[in-house]
Amino acid sequence: MLSFKNFLILLFICLTFLLNACVKKDTSGDFGLPKSKTLRMRLSGEPPTIDWHKSSDTASSLITSNIMEGLIVFNYTGDEVSLAPALAESWESLESAKKWVFKIKKGVTWSDGEPFEPKHIVDGWERLLNPETASPYSYFLYSIKNAKEYSEGKIKDFSKVGIELQGHTLTVSLKQPQDFPSLLTHSSTFPVRKDVVEKYKDKWTEPENIVTLGPFKLTKWIHDQAMVLKKNTGYFGIQSRTENIVFYIIQEAQTAINLFEMGKIDVIRDLPPKDLPALRKLKEFYTYPNLNIYYYGFNTEVAPTDNKFFRRALVHAVDRQQIIKILGGDQKLLTGWIPHGMFAYNPNVGLAYDPVRAKAYLKKLGYSSKNPPPKVELSFNALEAHKVIAENIQAQLKENLGITVELKSEEWKVYLETLKVRPANLYRMGWVADYPDPSNFFDIMLSYGENNRTKWKNLEYDRFVEQASGLVSNKGKRLELYNKAHQILVSDEVPVFPIFTNVAQHLISSRVISFPTNVMREFRLKNTSLQ
Amino acid sequence: MLKKILSKSTHVFSFFLLVLGFWAICLNLSNYYVPKLLSYGIFLSLILAFLSYSASSGTVFYCFKRIIEAFITIFVIATCTFMLLRLMPGGPFDEEKALPPKIKAKIEAKYGLDKPLAVQYFDYLKKAAVFDLGTSYKYIGRSVGEMILQNFSVSFTLGFYAFLLSFLIGIPTGLFAASKHNTFWDNFAMTLSISGVALPNFLVGSVLIVVFAYQLDWFPSALWDSSLHYVLPVVTLGIRPAAFIARLTRSTVLDVIKSDFIRTAKAKGLSPLAILYKHVLKNSMIPVLTYSGPLLAGILSGSFVIEILFAVPGIGKDLVQSVTNRDYPLILGLTLLYSVLLVISNLLVDFLYSFFDPRIRLGV
Repeated sequence: MLSFKNFLILLFICLTFLLNACVKKDTSGDFGLPKSKTLRMRLSGEPPTIDWHKSSDTASSLITSNIMEGLIVFNYTGDEVSLAPALAESWESLESAKKWVFKIKKGVTWSDGEPFEPKHIVDGWERLLNPETASPYSYFLYSIKNAKEYSEGKIKDFSKVGIELQGHTLTVSLKQPQDFPSLLTHSSTFPVRKDVVEKYKDKWTEPENIVTLGPFKLTKWIHDQAMVLKKNTGYFGIQSRTENIVFYIIQEAQTAINLFEMGKIDVIRDLPPKDLPALRKLKEFYTYPNLNIYYYGFNTEVAPTDNKFFRRALVHAVDRQQIIKILGGDQKLLTGWIPHGMFAYNPNVGLAYDPVRAKAYLKKLGYSSKNPPPKVELSFNALEAHKVIAENIQAQLKENLGITVELKSEEWKVYLETLKVRPANLYRMGWVADYPDPSNFFDIMLSYGENNRTKWKNLEYDRFVEQASGLVSNKGKRLELYNKAHQILVSDEVPVFPIFTNVAQHLISSRVISFPTNVMREFRLKNTSLQ
Repeated sequence: MLKKILSKSTHVFSFFLLVLGFWAICLNLSNYYVPKLLSYGIFLSLILAFLSYSASSGTVFYCFKRIIEAFITIFVIATCTFMLLRLMPGGPFDEEKALPPKIKAKIEAKYGLDKPLAVQYFDYLKKAAVFDLGTSYKYIGRSVGEMILQNFSVSFTLGFYAFLLSFLIGIPTGLFAASKHNTFWDNFAMTLSISGVALPNFLVGSVLIVVFAYQLDWFPSALWDSSLHYVLPVVTLGIRPAAFIARLTRSTVLDVIKSDFIRTAKAKGLSPLAILYKHVLKNSMIPVLTYSGPLLAGILSGSFVIEILFAVPGIGKDLVQSVTNRDYPLILGLTLLYSVLLVISNLLVDFLYSFFDPRIRLGV
């Protein structure tokens, strides 16, 4: 009979043998990659998906824009944004921009060694539009003939959609003239390998399955922890200058800043407003403008903001410069609807700070010290930066017009729901450009725009905007129409109150050379190198 | 005879559990992956030890009753959570850039959110009964079960060590303070422990980061990689329960020390240490045990503050974020996990009661 002591010894021997079968973790830091060849960045959250037809957030697009490429890419020279060829060699417009012809590049291979074929682009677009995919960005291609009908399930046959492929020539027929190529920079229009998607289903984006053709390959994705990209040596363009990129998923900005200061990560893209005064002093601090707007919308259906003179009075009574000063001074003041650096930007449109005129409007409406203006409700989603701005507006309206403003802050999803049902008199919102074209901003305020939460409808405005977006080749006429629309929107009717254009604020370690800083906040890292 | 075999096998399985557990801890701390076989072994010995104990102590019926009760509890929790979620304003697919209504309807239909609530509820129950918790709305293509399994292993590691640490620090400190009752050392230990209870996690964590990561550079300040990365989050998470356990232990030990059987032990001439460890400690464990049931469930299911502060990929932050994202399947999955943990740890504690104090009879 085995004695207890012998049993113990035997057990430990067995377990020691088991040790041989155990695998040791690689804990040499950065997944065993050498620091000199590895760029380490913070991701503020786990990307919900890197399926480029389904993602709609910035973390996901940061990854997809480095592992994939579309027909066309943006080219940034200073503040100017132009288009450059990627998978498309060249393109031209026919029938005054109602038809577009793209010549597709040859000799491109996917990361699994398979050759890239033009049909992969059509496959990608089909998948984007397919109702089964339920893509949040499927409307991106709605300008193509019958695309909307296909996406809504009214047409089952994809060959009826205005996309025609002959050899390496792709012809796209649109419903009306449009600057179509700029849409093709967006990740939702990237090609896809349908065979891979069908084979692995929902798991096709995992590193062991995914097939891509960009400058980097996804090699590791430890969910909620990190993602590792490696240089794709089979990439068709200029080879990336960095070997590896590690994205660490760190939610708390302060934790990321700690790691940055200890030299464990190289780049932080979003900084907490409360720390800006201290961080601004660092030599690693970078700031530059983006194409976005920060604005307040008016509910134009409830009193007192249903009256346009009342709305004008409120806008005139707020000094935007004061708000920018509180935020640290990097933001750019905005009276119009189009951000700095974009076509149709107009500094002379909109209502500037003018408390005398504001009071005059109120007087005109019959308000006086005996008959004081009614209370105004102002809502925002519960975030410190928004609260600071809301409180400042509250103080300014009290001081300049004697109007009492009631602040209401709500949790994000509750806030969105309230905006749908019954927005407050004044509500906070923002917009970041999907593509650098004014139509992306003017479309928001169309009578039928989903993002027009003001309930304001103006057919004249709709007409100007619709006409302008079709005028691709006639820039002069287009600008004229946009100026008219602009005038209605921010000077006459004033359903919105633009405040400023926000800026990007990063911490970039001195060992990182040529980190991309552009107005579209695109972070294509192939040209970035390390010292 | 059967009872004897069962009681013997309880000892064997508990012994197995200890050896395998110890081995797993050693592997984990020396940065090896714990083999799946070993985890299964631990799980199996835990179940077997538990079963043979309940069989030998004649509490099988009691166990069965508790398990039925647990199922009812979990069912009620699942139903309440499901209904409360739907009362919450805002849906999972509401975004800043509003989706065109037709696209939003398509996405909602894909997840069955267009069906009547009652149908959704029964679908959910049917799937949950076979442990299918569905797929996340936010993290496309990831099943909730998979997400929980992956992140729970991290929270479990963190929570387990913190739990261990809180006992390793709390009980000796409590005993020490009680044995030095009304002296400087007693006051010192209790001042420390009251600060441990009073100080919030994020403050303790920040101070530890500044001292041990920034100044001394002994441990990493964040991220979850080698066992060195465990140190600061484990200490931060363990300090508060340790302080609480120290206070609990001290007060019960002081009560027990005054009882008759201790006087008898002293009269028999036993050494003070033997009295303290053999007689006092065992009899002072009941309040600590009562506290450790919910503590175990709470600490294993992750801590939002610590996971955020140290960038630990656990389920504590998943729970908070899933609510912000209105990710219904994930919220439900995590709530169920927490309830299951709570039910199991309370059951374990009840069994340990009868072990520490044979006067407590289960199921009688």
